[in-house]
Amino acid sequence: MDFSIRAANVEDCKDIARMIVELSEYEKVAEHVKVTQRDLEQDGFSKNPFFHGIVAEVPEQHKTKEGHTKIGYALYFYSYSSWSGRAVYMEDLYVMPEFRGKGIGKALMSKVAQLGLAAGCNQLNFTVLDWNKPSLDFYLSQGSVDVTASMGYHCMRCDGEALQHLAQP
Amino acid sequence: MHFKVRAATKDDCKEISRMILELAVFEKMPDQVKITHEELERDGFCHNPFFECLVAEVPEEHKSEDGFTIVGYGLYFYTYSTWKGRSVYLEDLYVMPEFRGKGIGKGLLSKVAEVGKKMQCVRLQLSVLDWNTPSRDFYAAKGAQDLTASEGWHFLRFDGQDLDNLANEAPKD
Repeated sequence: MDFSIRAANVEDCKDIARMIVELSEYEKVAEHVKVTQRDLEQDGFSKNPFFHGIVAEVPEQHKTKEGHTKIGYALYFYSYSSWSGRAVYMEDLYVMPEFRGKGIGKALMSKVAQLGLAAGCNQLNFTVLDWNKPSLDFYLSQGSVDVTASMGYHCMRCDGEALQHLAQP
Repeated sequence: MHFKVRAATKDDCKEISRMILELAVFEKMPDQVKITHEELERDGFCHNPFFECLVAEVPEEHKSEDGFTIVGYGLYFYTYSTWKGRSVYLEDLYVMPEFRGKGIGKGLLSKVAEVGKKMQCVRLQLSVLDWNTPSRDFYAAKGAQDLTASEGWHFLRFDGQDLDNLANEAPKD
């Protein structure tokens, strides 16, 4: 199936917001999504964006039942390793279920890697849930390493009241 | 002991680089440090910097055995959660051993949280090694949740030849 990958623009935020919810439903946490289309427009397309996006598009004749031609996305941002320098973090990678198995996910991820290398990054980092075997298998088969399993790194988070408390001088 | 937490300047990069190596030695991976103060100067003080950094400073009369007055740092950058929005990631938090137990680590951590709050960040995230009990206890005491233990999140990484191979397979524009 023919598809194209391109940089996201502000008009894509409606479809990206739709697919973010679809991905959260897959990850069983749909009620956690607070980010709206407007947040994406402000945070991704301002002077100092918090993230960048790429979208996968199919031609009109392959659109979904509901009429969507934007059928996948990857959202990423630049990060930093105090050991190895510039890095890129892939926050989301998603392809609508009916378009899977056609190389679109792989193409999106490769594009993020290519953009990262072009920006001088030497790591592409991301997280995956341990029960998400299809994704884990996919990423490991592409040559990624599970740094939690091999080195023992745990992801930690402070939010809500704990973060408010911490932010007090 | 009196100490000050302030934003790092380009001139602080040599000290930050020294402490990055000390932290890597503590984490039993000193040979993993590939960057020097030059990369820090370039990447932290350019247009759209890759990171920001705070340093903890003590007065001359309290300098370290080796004569250092910059005794700790917190290196962080902004990230994004497609669920919750703006976040801040604490890449490194370090205080030289002889200055621990005096609230400097807490001072640096709180300042990062405060800076994040001003930028409307709703999360502060970091990673810690599973065997590093003092650090795990420190963060747990501040209300951090261990998402690997509680939700099963794993960090994955592409680097070196694997990253090159992946990038080479990107569709041509």
